[in-house]
Amino acid sequence: MLDRNDARSRPRWLRFLFQGVTGSRRRARAGATPAAEPRWLAPFVVACLFVLCLLPLVSLAKAGLAGLVSGQSVGVLSEPATFAAIRNTLLTATGGMIVSVLIGALFAFAVALTDVRGKLALSFAFMLPMMIPPQVTALAWVEMTGPASPLLKTLGIAPPLGSPQPLYSLAGISLLLGVQHAPLVFLALKAGLSASPRDGVEAARLAGATPFRVFRDIVAPLSAPGLIAGAAIAFVSGVGNFGIPAILGIPAGIEVLPTLIYTRLASFGAGTFGEIALLSSLIAVIAAGGLLLQQRALSGRDYRIIGLSGANAAFSLGRFRLVMELVLAAILFLVLAAPLVALVASSLVPAYGVPLNLQTVSLRAYEEILFRQSMTLKAFGNSMFLAVSAAFGLLAVSVPAAYLMTRRKGALANGLGILIEIPYALPGIVLAVAFILTFAAPLPIFKVSLYGTIWIILIAYFSSFLAVSLKPVMSAFLQMDPSLEEAARLSGAGFFRRMRDVILPLVAPAAGAAIILVFLIAANELTVSALLWSAGTQTLGVAIFNLDDSGSSDLASALSVLVVVMVVALMAALEALAKYLPEGVLPWRN
Amino acid sequence: MKSFVSAAAGVLVAGLLSTAAYAENLVLYTSQPNEDAQATVDAFQAANPGIEVEWVREGTTKIMAKLMAEIEAGNPVADVLLIADTVTMQRLKEAGHLADYKSPEAANFDASLYDAEGAYYSTKMITTGIVYNTSAGMKPSGWQDLSKPEAKGLVTMPSPLTSGAALIHAQTLTGIDGLGWDYYKALAANGATAAGGNGGVLKAVATGEKAYGMLVDFMAIREKAKGAPVEFVFPAEGVSAVTEPVGILKTAKNVDAAKKFVDFLLSEDGQEVAVKMGYIPARNGVALPEGYPARETIKVLPVNAAEAVKSADADLKTFSGIFGTN
Repeated sequence: MLDRNDARSRPRWLRFLFQGVTGSRRRARAGATPAAEPRWLAPFVVACLFVLCLLPLVSLAKAGLAGLVSGQSVGVLSEPATFAAIRNTLLTATGGMIVSVLIGALFAFAVALTDVRGKLALSFAFMLPMMIPPQVTALAWVEMTGPASPLLKTLGIAPPLGSPQPLYSLAGISLLLGVQHAPLVFLALKAGLSASPRDGVEAARLAGATPFRVFRDIVAPLSAPGLIAGAAIAFVSGVGNFGIPAILGIPAGIEVLPTLIYTRLASFGAGTFGEIALLSSLIAVIAAGGLLLQQRALSGRDYRIIGLSGANAAFSLGRFRLVMELVLAAILFLVLAAPLVALVASSLVPAYGVPLNLQTVSLRAYEEILFRQSMTLKAFGNSMFLAVSAAFGLLAVSVPAAYLMTRRKGALANGLGILIEIPYALPGIVLAVAFILTFAAPLPIFKVSLYGTIWIILIAYFSSFLAVSLKPVMSAFLQMDPSLEEAARLSGAGFFRRMRDVILPLVAPAAGAAIILVFLIAANELTVSALLWSAGTQTLGVAIFNLDDSGSSDLASALSVLVVVMVVALMAALEALAKYLPEGVLPWRN
Repeated sequence: MKSFVSAAAGVLVAGLLSTAAYAENLVLYTSQPNEDAQATVDAFQAANPGIEVEWVREGTTKIMAKLMAEIEAGNPVADVLLIADTVTMQRLKEAGHLADYKSPEAANFDASLYDAEGAYYSTKMITTGIVYNTSAGMKPSGWQDLSKPEAKGLVTMPSPLTSGAALIHAQTLTGIDGLGWDYYKALAANGATAAGGNGGVLKAVATGEKAYGMLVDFMAIREKAKGAPVEFVFPAEGVSAVTEPVGILKTAKNVDAAKKFVDFLLSEDGQEVAVKMGYIPARNGVALPEGYPARETIKVLPVNAAEAVKSADADLKTFSGIFGTN
């Protein structure tokens, strides 16, 4: 159950990469003696995981239960606002799931089964919406549509005065959740499709079946598990998403559970901890419910495939190839290119409501955020500090943990695997609440409170992204032949010597990938830091959100443009590293 | 790999040092828009070399929640507050969170503009009136115009759950005969929306998403000067006003710097900075910025501060009951 229980808001695809860490672990060789590992290793890993993964959950459960038992916070469960938020959460998550499935499945089928050209470029571009922070996606779409759009104004096709912004609605939130999470469906489905039987398809074609018949009778049933898994993950991601409903829902008075928690905490303060713990539990329950439904849908659909798998270009589209390519390009233009152009346009206008042209174009917004606003520079510095510390610091946990889990078998390794997945599976807003509850009170020995400092955000990042960091490292350990280390051990090399001379050089490329992946996600993070930031600890995600909230959407757009440039550059860096990386680390590659 | 580790260690140490450095800086919590906050801080730092100011901006209601959470955690970071209204300041004073400081500049201010014991000082006057898009069909002249059929679905306003000025505004208008909470109910029935802070209202009206809005004066007048298609009206019934007071927290770590900050804001130079940003200055003898009518023609509606403190929570609940929770 837990290894499917996946509800982080953004980096969902990493979830796939992580699958199988507990299940398909290669058993340690019979000859490897446990004595080969130092005595402190297991206690160290277990202690780290206890603080990062278990403790916050215990605090959350305790506060929620205390609220229930004392009866103080039960009222929140019967408030109309809570009911509305539950309803809105279910509606937008379901709507988003449908959009994700439609777009994601189209791309997955086209890329995995047909002979369209430029598959790598298509996959790379299609993955981008997931890597761009959700609040930036939402801002970009807002700038693209409605009477406020500088893009439409410049083109002279803006809707008339007083037209409502169409995205400030349940449908708008659903659409954007769908776009943001479509890559999850794409990845889930593509993984399944590349394992579908080439033999079966060829046999059916030889027997005279039409391509449609082949699709309906062979490909579709076999892809059902991937589709269901992708749909479930898109749903759960939609339940936990904060950035999109925060930008689109709050101005229209549409609350979902994550924004309700945020506004409660932001406007009424710490007195509402009990209520907030209960609301967080509601999100966790909805997410778990979605995953249970998925399991039920998947049961009885256990297909085993014999013979050759790998369905490279099972269908050649012939003259429809160009049509298909145009359709895919048009979708990418609509969901990716047009919003980003609108974002750039809105960062260049001098004042609200002024159309953009050569006379009015102004770099004032960039000048303001780069050279005048100490706040954005501070936020940039904080995000860099958090992302770099999390990316490098996590290796200190993930390398020993991966070592331990590949060398040991049995209950300990399985238990650790499950433990690591829990914080990754929880929606960010729930995790943030759990960390507030854990660290608001002063630490037992040091007598200082972490709440209000940058360290609480860093610890929450460690907890949240441990699974992200572990995955590439783990796959590198699994590919490594244990006899290398054993030979070093038999020659008398101690643990640290073996680490330095044998293991670390071999896992270095994977560790590099882990660093970039964690960095990419942490540098753009909003949900956790939105609840945990304080004076001097605001992050880039918070800065963008706060600029938009204060009405400076030109500044928010300019900062967003810079963030998108950074994301694309980092993804390109990963792509350049691709040939040194273990297979499956980069989601847009096969 | 080793270089990774040393790089990580380096970053951690740098982070520790920079956290430690916060303690030396004056920390300001403010509800001013980002650009104004930065300009205020820049001017202060130019006048007081050697003092670094760290600032945080949120709507008054939200920044209070943050401050209270920090106080409860025993770790309040802020030294000085520069927030929308004296009602919130009065609340803080009554809860014992503010330090008294007699500023020498106070002599140049009307006695009603600061606390007699020196807990807080008004720095400017910010009125809330009506902003409209120049392509709107109706030219509003009074508050009642916003509930007319011509404005159906075209009105927006800031929410008291975010903005301190909006709370005072609602408390002021509901205290007027003939308006009251019925006025807000009529607005809600007419399709008016209330969400976020003043910045969002400005954007919605300037870009034509909405035609009319309740908005603080300086935002509209300033944006008009930049070329945005908006006009600002001081309605016939009068306007509500907040005075953006500044106060020093009892828990302040940098008391001397905080006092200098208060003095600077109240000084003639500090008031000129506010005027340059388009605010009505609070100090006697400082001229209004361009784009405003003469000071005596602006009719400011009274609000009973003591009453307002007591009813704030109830008013927030009433408001969110009418417009939904945000």
